[in-house]
Amino acid sequence: MNVFRHLTGGLKELVRRDKTESELSEELNAYLQNAADAKVQAGATPEEALRSARLELGGMETVKHEVRAVGWEFAIEVFVQDARYGIRMLRKSPLFTAVAVTAIAIGIGANTAMFSLIDAILLRPLPYPEPQRLIVVGTQQRGRSEMDLMGTADFLAWRDHQQSFEQVAVLDRAGRSFALSGMGAPERIPGVGVSANFFSMFGVAPLKGRGFQPGEDRPGAPGVVVVSEQFWRDHLGSDPAVLNRTLTLDGKLRTIVGVMPAGFRFPSRRPVDVWAIRTLNPPAARPPYGLVGLGRLKPGVSVRKAAAELNDIAAQVAAQYPSSPDLVGVMMPMKEWMVSDVSTALLLLLGAIALVLLIAVVNVANLLLARATVRQREVAVRLALGASRKRVVRQLLTESSVLSLLGGVIGLLLAYLAVRAFLAFGPGQMPRLEEVGINSGVLLFTFVVCVGSGILFGLAPALETSRPSLSDPLKDTNRSSSSASAYRTHRALLVFEVALALIVMIGSGLLVRSFVRLSDVNPGIQTDHVITAAISLPNKYAGPPQITQFWQQFLEKVQTLPGVKAASITMSLPPNLLAITNPFTVEGQGYDRNHSLQLAEEMTVSPGYFRSLGIPLMKGRFFSPSDKVESDKDPMIVIVNQTMAKQYFGDKDPIGRRIQTGDPDPSFPWETIVGVVGDVKYSGLDSGPGPTLYVPYNENGWVMWAREMYLVVRSSGSAPGIVPAIRTQLASMDSTIPLAQIRTMDELLDESLVQQRFRTWLVSGFAALAMILSAIGIYALISYSVSQRTREIGVRLALGAQRSNVLGLVLREGLQVLAFGLLLGLVGALSATRIMRSLLYSTSATDALSFIATSFTLIAVALLACYIPARRATKVDPMVALRYE
Amino acid sequence: MPDKNTALVQGTLDMLILKTLALEPMHAHGIGLRIEQISKGVFQVNPGSLFPAFKRLERAGWLDSEWRATENNRRAKYYVLTASGRKQLKSETRDWKTQSVAIARILEA
Repeated sequence: MNVFRHLTGGLKELVRRDKTESELSEELNAYLQNAADAKVQAGATPEEALRSARLELGGMETVKHEVRAVGWEFAIEVFVQDARYGIRMLRKSPLFTAVAVTAIAIGIGANTAMFSLIDAILLRPLPYPEPQRLIVVGTQQRGRSEMDLMGTADFLAWRDHQQSFEQVAVLDRAGRSFALSGMGAPERIPGVGVSANFFSMFGVAPLKGRGFQPGEDRPGAPGVVVVSEQFWRDHLGSDPAVLNRTLTLDGKLRTIVGVMPAGFRFPSRRPVDVWAIRTLNPPAARPPYGLVGLGRLKPGVSVRKAAAELNDIAAQVAAQYPSSPDLVGVMMPMKEWMVSDVSTALLLLLGAIALVLLIAVVNVANLLLARATVRQREVAVRLALGASRKRVVRQLLTESSVLSLLGGVIGLLLAYLAVRAFLAFGPGQMPRLEEVGINSGVLLFTFVVCVGSGILFGLAPALETSRPSLSDPLKDTNRSSSSASAYRTHRALLVFEVALALIVMIGSGLLVRSFVRLSDVNPGIQTDHVITAAISLPNKYAGPPQITQFWQQFLEKVQTLPGVKAASITMSLPPNLLAITNPFTVEGQGYDRNHSLQLAEEMTVSPGYFRSLGIPLMKGRFFSPSDKVESDKDPMIVIVNQTMAKQYFGDKDPIGRRIQTGDPDPSFPWETIVGVVGDVKYSGLDSGPGPTLYVPYNENGWVMWAREMYLVVRSSGSAPGIVPAIRTQLASMDSTIPLAQIRTMDELLDESLVQQRFRTWLVSGFAALAMILSAIGIYALISYSVSQRTREIGVRLALGAQRSNVLGLVLREGLQVLAFGLLLGLVGALSATRIMRSLLYSTSATDALSFIATSFTLIAVALLACYIPARRATKVDPMVALRYE
Repeated sequence: MPDKNTALVQGTLDMLILKTLALEPMHAHGIGLRIEQISKGVFQVNPGSLFPAFKRLERAGWLDSEWRATENNRRAKYYVLTASGRKQLKSETRDWKTQSVAIARILEA
């Protein structure tokens, strides 16, 4: 009530300034007359009475001012007044304003852009109802830290026995796309298999139609799908009658029952166009592990309790399948699961750019300090006329806030452009990118940063300028006393600035070094002249004979195309498109269930695979088209990589030795090693060496995996040039099969490093910015100092000092700042770069070369920044300098 | 600079104004005069503090104002005590009495 009255009263006054002013004047005049009347009645003459009444009132304007100062609106009036004055002052020195505003705009713009990413990805809750109750469930081998996928047996047991969740659903991690045919040229669209209650668990309503209904994931239920808003728009022309239309996916007819709104994207790394029902049949064995469990906790149930329950269930499953490894159940909040891998990199980027902003702030503070000496006279006049120091500081801080708000507005514009550019050109495959934007939270952040930095860079100069020394600046003959302390502040700020710049530069140096090492990693193949593409066969290729026949004919056709040197298919591609890992046991080296399993990267390939990628043969032989492997009577054969041969067979010859793959089970068939090939990276260029197993794609037990394969073609001429011919051959065999994800091997290598490259470039950009800003800072300091010391230098020269002495004198100042700054920066960097450790590839966070190289770069740039103004000092003409002032 | 004797105890001016207006609506000069007279010249109210006090009290809703003719046929702004102002005066008076009795006791002890 009271607050409300104060608020409206103040607002009224702000709006109707003139009216309240004139009313106040009128009231004061009335007071005067009343007072005078009283004095006349007491016997004074009218003139005397008026005069003494005036004296009593004591200055009409002073009283008015005090009345005005009562309400809160007065603070705003003062601010507006100060801001107006500030803008006038800024317009008087456009160069200074331009430089300062640009520095702030870049700093704030970059920070705002980075914050809007972090806000969307890390800070905001997931865009589903009560997201804190959403949990992701997987399995883990004892003794390992990363979360693995679940098998069907684990999921079904969990679904049927758990009590902690309102709903549990499942996401199939194995199939990530579908072949869409019957709508123009066949193509692959991104999609995912989910259980029937997937949508109801999220609690997100479809845009049109419905989500899945209970029972639709039972075996034998009619196939239904839900599509994304984007797919509905792009592929179905936003057809209002989309419900009950059918799509041919992987050769099967599916009925569309719903369209999800644009904001719903799960899993969120890449777009999802189709959610299809994943049917779960009770399994014969515990593996394979290809499912992600999802659940919505009952209100009030803790993750810890749910996890304990999950572990009991996992133990029962392990008991059911005695030959399976001892997997424990693990769960984590859904948001953590989605974003944990990018959070370190994002926070690193925010940290780096925050340092750059600080450097910009320090620079502007120094600019203001240099200006402070110019304005000292003006401020001294104000102080002499009775302004309080508080009032003057407030005025100066308002001015710097105006500067930072101006920078902030431009920065916001820059941030908007930067975010748009990031979404368009930045690395995709980041979670929750669809939620990124500049919203009220981001605006608040920008505003706080603006005002904060305005006060930060305004405070030191304001305190410096308003230092109460009245007489000196007014005399304007000797500026030494006050400018000496300004100079000290100036120098201290610069030490800080150099230190910050060095920290950012060392951070970028480490990333660059790590990135160079990563790019130099030998993937183990010859990358030139290789084209790859994904092909998957629809279900009508129902059994091994059809699948094998298709591939044999297709490879033959491609092989005979002009310009093709070798053609083959594989389940996995270097450098990071690995499909599966599989446990294995070496004959004679029995398996101990209490230890975690040894896993190998395992893939099926056609005989020409090694030749088409140029993988060298070390021992034994490659697969041959004449290998008989298709029946379960045929002996199984396998090729291993060098690391595996060395780790498990040492100096002995591995050829002819036998291994088992899959969960350890004595009844599994043995596979004989026929060859050893060179190591190839399949789990990313930054992965360490590990065992790799190759088996023939048409081998009994593996052939059903050969529905989804990569084609690998080595050509003599341009690799992309033969794509049309390949496509024609494919269409001639089956026009419903799309040739998807067409990439050269070089492109695949590039794409695998996109995140690392992006953050390396970005931090290097920040580092360059930091370096330039600090160089400008040093340049400004030395120039300022030279201009202040012109007279002294003149005297020295007149007394016979050599030009080189003068040069040394000035340079020494810069070197002092530089030395302190470097020292502080090195200490800071030693602790700051530690947080980057997980982002570096075979580079220590205290890598000496990076530290030394960046330090020297900064020293070189800083020396140059010193030298230019210092040389000017040596050009001083003693006669002119002595006449100066 | 107010004289030592005539300086008002911090915060009491508002109460004195309310008290003065409890009898009848008055204009600024009248209020100042009345306070001076009743206090037998102990308190001399400076217009520089009187007018800000009016604005404060009006903002708080304890005073209303209207323009009226004075006894000398001039126009002046008259201040009127509102109902909530009357309540405020009552509670301030009560507080003041308790405090002054307490202070007197301490000083006499």
